[in-house]
Amino acid sequence: MATLSTMLKKELLETWRTYRFLILAVVVLIFALMSPLIAKLTPDIMKMSFGKTLQLAIPKPTSIDSWTQFYKNMTQMGIFVVAILFGGTMSQELSRGTLVNLVTKGLPRWVVAVSKYISLVVQWSVALTASFLVTWGYTAYYFPDAKTPHIWQGFVPLLLFGLFFLAVILFGSTLASNSYGGLLFTILVVGALYLVNLFKAAQNYNPISLIGNNMALVQGSKTLGELGPGIAIAIGAGLVLLAGTVILLNRKKL
Amino acid sequence: MIAVADILTLSHVQKAFGSKQVLKDVDFSIPQGSIFGFVGENGAGKTTTMKLILGLEKADAGIITVGGQTVHFGATKTNRITGYLPDVPAFYGYMTPVEYLDLCARITGISGRQHRIAEMLDLVQLKADKHRIRGFSRGMKQRLGIAQALLNRPQLLICDEPTSALDPAGRNEFLELLASLRGQTTVLFSTHILSDVERISDRVGILHDGHLQACDTLANLHQQFGRPQIKLTLSDTQTAQRCGQVLRPLPVQVQANQVTIPYQDAYETTAQQVLRALVTADITPIALQRQSATLEQIFLEVIGNGHTINHA
Repeated sequence: MATLSTMLKKELLETWRTYRFLILAVVVLIFALMSPLIAKLTPDIMKMSFGKTLQLAIPKPTSIDSWTQFYKNMTQMGIFVVAILFGGTMSQELSRGTLVNLVTKGLPRWVVAVSKYISLVVQWSVALTASFLVTWGYTAYYFPDAKTPHIWQGFVPLLLFGLFFLAVILFGSTLASNSYGGLLFTILVVGALYLVNLFKAAQNYNPISLIGNNMALVQGSKTLGELGPGIAIAIGAGLVLLAGTVILLNRKKL
Repeated sequence: MIAVADILTLSHVQKAFGSKQVLKDVDFSIPQGSIFGFVGENGAGKTTTMKLILGLEKADAGIITVGGQTVHFGATKTNRITGYLPDVPAFYGYMTPVEYLDLCARITGISGRQHRIAEMLDLVQLKADKHRIRGFSRGMKQRLGIAQALLNRPQLLICDEPTSALDPAGRNEFLELLASLRGQTTVLFSTHILSDVERISDRVGILHDGHLQACDTLANLHQQFGRPQIKLTLSDTQTAQRCGQVLRPLPVQVQANQVTIPYQDAYETTAQQVLRALVTADITPIALQRQSATLEQIFLEVIGNGHTINHA
């Protein structure tokens, strides 16, 4: 456990000094600031764009628009920023040979995989939570309505999807010999999950359901319990992928 | 005489990459406290052998033991008593040398970390300041590599072409450092610079064609393979060429203004024969030297003959 703590500190130092966490934090905070603001300004933007030619009456924006914008940004752009930032987390170590000195000093390889995963989870959780809280604050300020009563219920599945998604990234990064290979693997997995989602019977079990129902959860038209199978499969698949990463790394030549 | 235990033994080790059999049957051992020079052509399998010893590659057959314990691929406990300096050591560029050595020390679990790190930095003449490793020259990285390899006071130190990136002064310092470890730490080092091996090694292993073709002390290798020679220095190239013709059928080699004559009989017999021939041809050499064979010549002799000879 002492080596796990040592390697976790190393991972956190790395992400800090290579500015990866800073970039992630800046990106998600921009989403957090922009989501309520865009929701607020959308009617004005449309008026300025179309002027009197727009015949439709633009409804007054609400907190629903703000949270919709937030989840759209996070689940479309946010997770791909994460994939790009962390796609090389293992492949770079393997291609540069930086693990050789440590492994030949007795560092167990599973510690490398687990410490990297914990570090990714910490970064995702901190960045996402900060972004969520900022969005919450601004949304409450701009749209003091009661149309989004279950905001935490929308947040939890996204957080859990992140745990699954990070396991996919880490596995892909260990499997591939470079960052692009890891990124391609991640894109293929997400693409496959979206394809599976075309089948209605599979939707409830698909981890993708964790990033497709956030607004329904926030508004209260769905409950977390209904996403139970998807959550269980996302957590289970995440653990299997993490175990797979350890097995892959144990077989890798350094 | 007290028998010295072997820290490292390789028994019938084989390794292939695809259809290429790199190591066919490697079999040798290294006594504790000795310095073992490991030489071979490019692609002979020196780095592969070292990686097998470190558990970084999996042997197809054979057994490797370090300190009496069998080496296993992946996570071998024997690495606790081993230090390794790769040919191009890779570090985390965002760390300072102190942070990097502290990381290594924590993984190894050595006691008195701060004192040991300061000791190692002092040994390799690196400063314990805030400069990050990414700004280091190759020579500085090599020195940091030495520090990390020696950090855990290893019983066996494995160095893969350690002097290739160093300037002459750095090379000299590094060889002195390795030589100073004699008796305390067993050193296995590979190199292309045969004069380095000659300078500090107790024993030499020559890897060729998947076998350790020779493995013995330098003295025994000289006795076994080294053909002594007479070296004549002439005034110019033309005279050297004429001298070469005069001395035939002796097996002469002419290079620029120098003529080398290897011999097997007594020195006096060959020297007299050479001098008589020179006097007859009215050739006066500038210098005449009696030389023993260099390791380079022994190496070429061994890989040329291809006989497996082991006096371990």
